[in-house]
Amino acid sequence: MLISGLFITTALLYGIACALYLAHLTRGREGLTRATNGALGLAVALHVVYLVGNVVAGNSPVGDIYRVLSLVSFAIVSAFLATTLKRPVTVLGAFITPVTLLFFLASGLGHSVASVPPEVRSRLLPFHIGVNVLGVSAFALAFGAALAYVLQDRSLRRKELGGLFQRLPALDVLDSLSFRASLVGFSLLTVGVVTGAMWMAREHSGRPMLEPASLMGIATWCVFASILGLRVMSGWRGRRAALGTIVGFLCAVSVLAFYVLRATGGALS
Amino acid sequence: MSGDLIVVGLSHHTAPVELRERLATNDSDVPAELKALVNDAGLHEALLLSTCNRVELYAHAAEPHKALELARAHFRERAGDGVERCLYQHRGKEATHHAFRVAASLDSLVVGEPQILGQVKTAFELANDAGTVGMLLGRCFTRAFAVAKRVRTETRIAEGTVSISSVAVELAQKIFGDLRGRRALLLGAGQMGETAARSLSATGARLVVVNRNREKADALAAACGGEARDYELLLTELVQADVVISSTSSTGFVLTRDLMRDVCRSRRHRPLFIIDIAVPRDVDPRVADMDNVFLYDVDDLQRVADDGLAQRRQEADAAEAIVTEEVQEFEAWRRTLALTPTIVELRRHFQQVVRDEVTRTTQRLSAKNSDDERTLDAMSEAIVNKLLHPALATLKAEATQPDGEQLIAAVRTLFQLGLVPVAESAAEATHLAEVAKPQDAVRGALREPNGTQGLPTPKTRGA
Repeated sequence: MLISGLFITTALLYGIACALYLAHLTRGREGLTRATNGALGLAVALHVVYLVGNVVAGNSPVGDIYRVLSLVSFAIVSAFLATTLKRPVTVLGAFITPVTLLFFLASGLGHSVASVPPEVRSRLLPFHIGVNVLGVSAFALAFGAALAYVLQDRSLRRKELGGLFQRLPALDVLDSLSFRASLVGFSLLTVGVVTGAMWMAREHSGRPMLEPASLMGIATWCVFASILGLRVMSGWRGRRAALGTIVGFLCAVSVLAFYVLRATGGALS
Repeated sequence: MSGDLIVVGLSHHTAPVELRERLATNDSDVPAELKALVNDAGLHEALLLSTCNRVELYAHAAEPHKALELARAHFRERAGDGVERCLYQHRGKEATHHAFRVAASLDSLVVGEPQILGQVKTAFELANDAGTVGMLLGRCFTRAFAVAKRVRTETRIAEGTVSISSVAVELAQKIFGDLRGRRALLLGAGQMGETAARSLSATGARLVVVNRNREKADALAAACGGEARDYELLLTELVQADVVISSTSSTGFVLTRDLMRDVCRSRRHRPLFIIDIAVPRDVDPRVADMDNVFLYDVDDLQRVADDGLAQRRQEADAAEAIVTEEVQEFEAWRRTLALTPTIVELRRHFQQVVRDEVTRTTQRLSAKNSDDERTLDAMSEAIVNKLLHPALATLKAEATQPDGEQLIAAVRTLFQLGLVPVAESAAEATHLAEVAKPQDAVRGALREPNGTQGLPTPKTRGA
């Protein structure tokens, strides 16, 4: 009861922070900065309580896909907050908080009643999940920057230099943030893919499991590998790299979506 | 009342640039000038704001009429009698209003331009260091900074850029972020190109000038603080540049699509911002379709500048409302300035009278001991407090109202309290207020000392 109350309050606060960030971006309400920071700060604090509460209640934080989603949304918002400490990209909250909210809400879709599945008790799987959670959060950050890049690039080309253009950061700042975040995410994902393959080889005695989630995971890896490769080798940058990053992030999201589908399918059957 | 705030000055609204130039004072000379004004002219406080668009003297004086005349004389002395018809002056509430508007950039040539706040802050610091800022100017300008901040955050007056070169700089910053160390290439020798190049160079970008005529390039580079290069090196420079400003007098395209395609390949698609200020144009418009190339011509820049100006005008109304509101608050605080010293003096006056009478009576009584004396002191204190209580409560309530000043003045006249010595009253009020809200200062002054609600009962009584 307490936990579900916490969930609703946290979701509500994420929603408020999200609306405030969007108001700031689209209408330039600078006066709302304190309220925005307050709402997001409180949401993150409650989220910590929620996560800790779940662990105290005896649930593994990586016990099922829903808990992983909650962890993912927390990692995304933490990565964003850490970035704003170093770079003037607070306004990107308008892209990051909706993603956070989406994942957090999705984490409330259900909970498997079964106790922790035996395979999760192995050490490899939590590690595999952990690096992937961090990887997805880095990709979310890259996605936010890339989305802002595409919008800025469009404003500059159409010569529509309104408030949105004024408030979003410079192209170069966005491009470099997107690049670095992609690089971090890609490194983590590489570890994630390798550990995933190892786990699969052990659990399923080498029989390849061609399920959609794994395939999309590999697709995500390929997309980011190509973007980063092209960036380094032939100076790919700007709009194309940004569009590629957006596609890559959507692939990463689809991996999680397939896990959710599998979980709900399992629950229904 | 302890004097009033005045301002005398001239600005781009009233005076031509030649006159403003003649009056402009170097920052290093300001302290001496301020000290002279305070010491010789008998102003309580003084602050001199001198920018390329305005020269204004703010002062706090016991006799505002005299001070206004004095300030005008000061301007005449520095710039000749011709300056008289360009001067404007404000007093009291209007002077505060003017200071707030100036700091909030509502009185600027380009409304909403951000530099003025920095200039006002510098002027304030100079006066503060010279020791010519006291309570009234101090409070007035601290509020002015807060008003400017409110205007900036609550309205969108500072949004949108309004001159072609500032649009160029802003766009470059929106593409590259920090411009320090970036390379700007100036192609040709048009006047507008030069202005834009200067603005870019001022942000820390490295400027390179290329012209068919090497001598012209050298002269221009020297004037704008850049380096000149031979025209043959144009291709290399295009590959290295981040921003290109083109303003040649060529009749055909100088930067054709084929040329730029090669350039982009050699640049490994690093972003390139091209400003085509030439008429007819220097750059093939199709270049704009290339990835990571942003091409703006003079019409584009002008349109952005016009939009910015229109938007700022709209926002100015909202900003004026903020200023008016803040002026009211400042005035309410200012009216309470004379209150604290008045209360202190009134209380002192009453206590003196009562104490004198008590002393006279006790001398006549034969049996004296220290306890009785203390009891009588406490009694006299209580009498004063009870007598003054309704009067002080009314005074406190009325002080912030528009008629408050007159009421305070009436009290001073009735009890013959004399003029408020400004320095003292200011120091006292500051001490009590500690830069808190005006109401707190009043409350502090009115707080009654402990044990005055009734006579204490000494333990020794009857012993």
